[in-house]
Parts: sequence; structure tokens; C-alpha cells
Amino acid sequence: MTGWHASDDLVTRYGDGSLPEPDAWSLEKHLETCGRCATRVSRAVRETAAGVALAQVREAVLEAAPTLPTTAQRLPRPLALPSPGPRLAHLLWAAGPAVRGAWLPAVLLVAFGAVALAYGADITGVRPLLLAVAPVVPVAGVALSYGAHADPLHEIAASTPSAGLRLVLTRTAAVLAVSVPLLTLAGLLVPSSDAPGAAAWLLPGLALTLASLALAGYVGVRTATAVTGGGWLCAVLTPVLAAPGGHLPARLAEQLQYCLDGAPAQGGWAAAAVLSAVLLAARRPAYDHLERR
Amino acid sequence: MSTIRVTGLHVRHRGTVALDSVDLDFGPGVHGLLGPNGAGKTSLIRVLATVAAPTGGRVELLGDDVREHRRRAVVRRRLGYLPQEFGYYPGFTVREFVAYVAWLKEMPAAEVPAAVERAVARVGLADRVDAKVKTLSGGMIRRVGIAQAIVNEPDVLLLDEPTAGLDPEQRVEFRELLRELGGSSTVVVSTHLVEDVAAACTEVTLIESGRVAYRGTPASLAALGESAAGAGVGDNPIERGYTAALRTHRASATPALEGTAR
Repeated sequence: MTGWHASDDLVTRYGDGSLPEPDAWSLEKHLETCGRCATRVSRAVRETAAGVALAQVREAVLEAAPTLPTTAQRLPRPLALPSPGPRLAHLLWAAGPAVRGAWLPAVLLVAFGAVALAYGADITGVRPLLLAVAPVVPVAGVALSYGAHADPLHEIAASTPSAGLRLVLTRTAAVLAVSVPLLTLAGLLVPSSDAPGAAAWLLPGLALTLASLALAGYVGVRTATAVTGGGWLCAVLTPVLAAPGGHLPARLAEQLQYCLDGAPAQGGWAAAAVLSAVLLAARRPAYDHLERR
Repeated sequence: MSTIRVTGLHVRHRGTVALDSVDLDFGPGVHGLLGPNGAGKTSLIRVLATVAAPTGGRVELLGDDVREHRRRAVVRRRLGYLPQEFGYYPGFTVREFVAYVAWLKEMPAAEVPAAVERAVARVGLADRVDAKVKTLSGGMIRRVGIAQAIVNEPDVLLLDEPTAGLDPEQRVEFRELLRELGGSSTVVVSTHLVEDVAAACTEVTLIESGRVAYRGTPASLAALGESAAGAGVGDNPIERGYTAALRTHRASATPALEGTAR
């Protein structure tokens, strides 16, 4: 354009990077309009170490390119499997804060504690005590599973499509999946001491859990679990503690028989569970904004 | 085209009026939400994020009324939300945290690992992806929060004080990311840093005492600051525009609301 062209020395120094920056810029400006110099500079740059490396990379990429479509089809699978089993991770995620946090050790303590007391310390009347506590355990798990007070991620989770009843139920299922087998097994292992069967707490446990969830739609998870769990403990323990005389475990066993044993009692618990489930389903939208209630 | 449409919005927060008859609409782009502390910015963002329910008015996101339970789930899949404060599970790594939110957002499981990598790389934490969240600094945790918000490439992205805790260099990088995100989605950013708005936003909405005090562009706000010489205080035109708009609004407003929440 101006008749000026880059000298060989300038081209070499641009290639090896020893040219001061302002000079390099003005050379680049010239190259935009001068094909002849551009070709010379390109050749010089290609011969530098960086140029050689770039050429090799280009070659390698071009070589890999035709095989890409087939590998791309296989690609999602290895990518979808991050290190230690995503299935386990997904299960733990579904389990929520309760099963990850302090609640799990508490359940283990109740279960193993019962067995240890019955055999290690040779204490009688462990089964009634266990049956009295067991229905409250999943209720406590629910309390520690959902809501701003229990879940540090609640504010984020509440804006996702999983929020609301779905997440509440997923986490409740995880809580039940942990507590039901552990506590029932512990109940089977300890001597009966005239208390109802080891499985007698299952329906009341389920009914109280579902009732907590149903109530949570009105008053929030924390209050609801306090009402149901506290209500159960009051119903079972108050008459035992209030009644004068007699052996305490025996009185507890008697009271539990009244609450748990026989078709009418169990039928009542089943009806309560069904009623709570119906209420839950009917009031689904209420669970989206639990914290506002 | 409006992706967010709010009409007659009324929000009460802990017994006080947080937002009072607010009408707003936002389309694709980056929208700055400015206002003094307690003006109602967070209340507005939480309602838009479907986390809080309004006491009155109508909120339409992506053409759907979010009061409807079924439509709400559809909208939530296309939302991204960074709360002002958020917690995390102590044992989680950055990757697990972001993947967990992707799972909550019901993303297809096969897409999650790549989406997580992409989101974490976009906030500049690719080298810390397997670090435990609790070992990170405050600014990094905020970036993890931004990563979880953008992991599903949301159509509506709501960021409450995203630059709090970021150092100047990170803020510059973040504004770059904001501009990029605003190219395709509707981004609403609440901030009290006027320079964030000037640098990254296409539109500005000023909120004061639960009402909309001013709407315009950063340029129009700066022009207001230039023209209203003396009326506004500040070190640069946009700051002067901000204070001038606030004062005009306060002067014209009907007796201000008593005790507003944030």
C-alpha cells in the first residue's frame, strides 16, 4: 500500500517474539492489508517452536475428527458415571438432610441401645419402651428433613420443580426405609415382656408420619411433627406416669396393649393413615410454600 | 416479548408491607434491580423465584401464571435462582452440590455431568470442582451459587446480590458472564452496587419502599444524574442519577409506607 514492506530482520524477530510490542502491533496492522508480507510472516512463525507444536495439534485434531461421530455416541455413558456410582449418590441425595445428619445416629442408638439394654444390662421391659419410642422416630426424621430450619439448601430447593410434596415424600420414604427395618428388628431381638408384637408399631408409626405431613400443609413441618410426636408420647406415657403403684414397664406394656393390640386399635391406625394420605393428596399445592405458613 | 410480567404485586413479609402494587415486565437481557437496603428487592426476587407466595397480584413467568400448581413446576424447570444467603451440605464437593441442584431441577440424568462441568467452568472454578464446598472462600462459595443457578441454562435467571463477596477482578469477570447470559435469557440482578448496573445491565429498575421508583437504562439514569445537577449526590453520573431518582420518588410519593421489610 505505502510501498513499505517488512524487512527480513523484522519478520524473524516477530516470529521469535523478540520484537517490542508497539513494533509488533504496527507490523500486524500492515499485515492486514499486505498479502506478501503476511505470507512471509506466516512462514517465519510456522518455523518457530510454537508453530511446529500448533501444526502437530492441528494434525492430531484432523486425524481424530472422522472418528468423532462414533465416539460421541458412546461418550455420554462414561461421562454419566462420575467416580463412585451415581446410583448411590442419587439415593443419598433423595434421602435428604435427616438421613445424612444427626437423625441416623439417633436411630442407630435407639435400635442398638434397646438390644444392648435387654441383653447387656439385663433390663426387663425394653420392648414396651422401644414400642413407645419407635413411632416418634420417623416423625422426628420428617421434622429434620424439610424446611428452612432443617435443610440448609431449602431456599434453593424451594425454587426447583422438586420442591413441595414430591421432595417431602421422597425424604419421608428415605426416613421410613431406614427406621422401619432397624426398629422392627431391634423389637424382635428384645424379649417381649408382655408387650404387643415387634411389628405392632408399624401402622401407628406410618399413621403418625402421614398425619404429620398432612398437618404440615396447614401449620408447617416443625409444628406438625411436634404436635403428632408429642401427642403420641403424651397419650402413651401420661396414663402410665399418672397411675399409682405397680411396676412401671408392666404398666407401660398394658397401656401399649390398649393403644396397639387387637384389630380395633390397628384398624383405627390404618384408617388414620388412609385419611392422612387422602388429605395429603388433596392439598398438594399447599406444600409449595410451606415456609410462608 | 416479556418473559416476566408482574401486575399489582403485593407482598407482606413478617407482618410488614414489602411490595405494594408493583407492575413490572422484563424481557431477555440483564435487568438491574437497584434500591436501598430494605426497599423490597429480595422480596421481589423471592416471589419471582416462586419461593415466596405473593399476598396479592399476578405473577407470570414465561407466559404461565405461577399461582397454578401444575404450571409452576413447568416454569421452575426453566428457572435459575441465587438466594442472597444459602447453605450447603458440609460433605459436598462443588461437583456434588451443583449436580444435586441439577437433580432437584429434574434435568435428564445423562446431561447432568456435562452440564455441571460447564456451569462450574463458566464461573471460573473448574480447578476446584472436586474440592469440598466448606473449604472454599466466601467469594468462591458465591460463585458455586451462581454455578448451581445456571446449571440448567435457565430462561429466567434471578440473582440476589451476586457480587457480594467477590473481589474486583472476579466482579469484572462476573459482569462479562452476565452480559453473555443476558444474550439469551432474562436475567434479573439485585444489587446495591451502582457500578455493577452501569457495567453489565441493559435496563435498570429502581425500587424504594416497596414501589417502583424509576425505570430506564443505565444511560438514561446517568443522563438524569447529569441534568439534575445538584439534586443528586454521587461520584459519577449514574450514582447522581440514582440519588436524584430516589429523591424525586420520595418527594412525589404518597406518605411513605411505615416499616418496610427487605
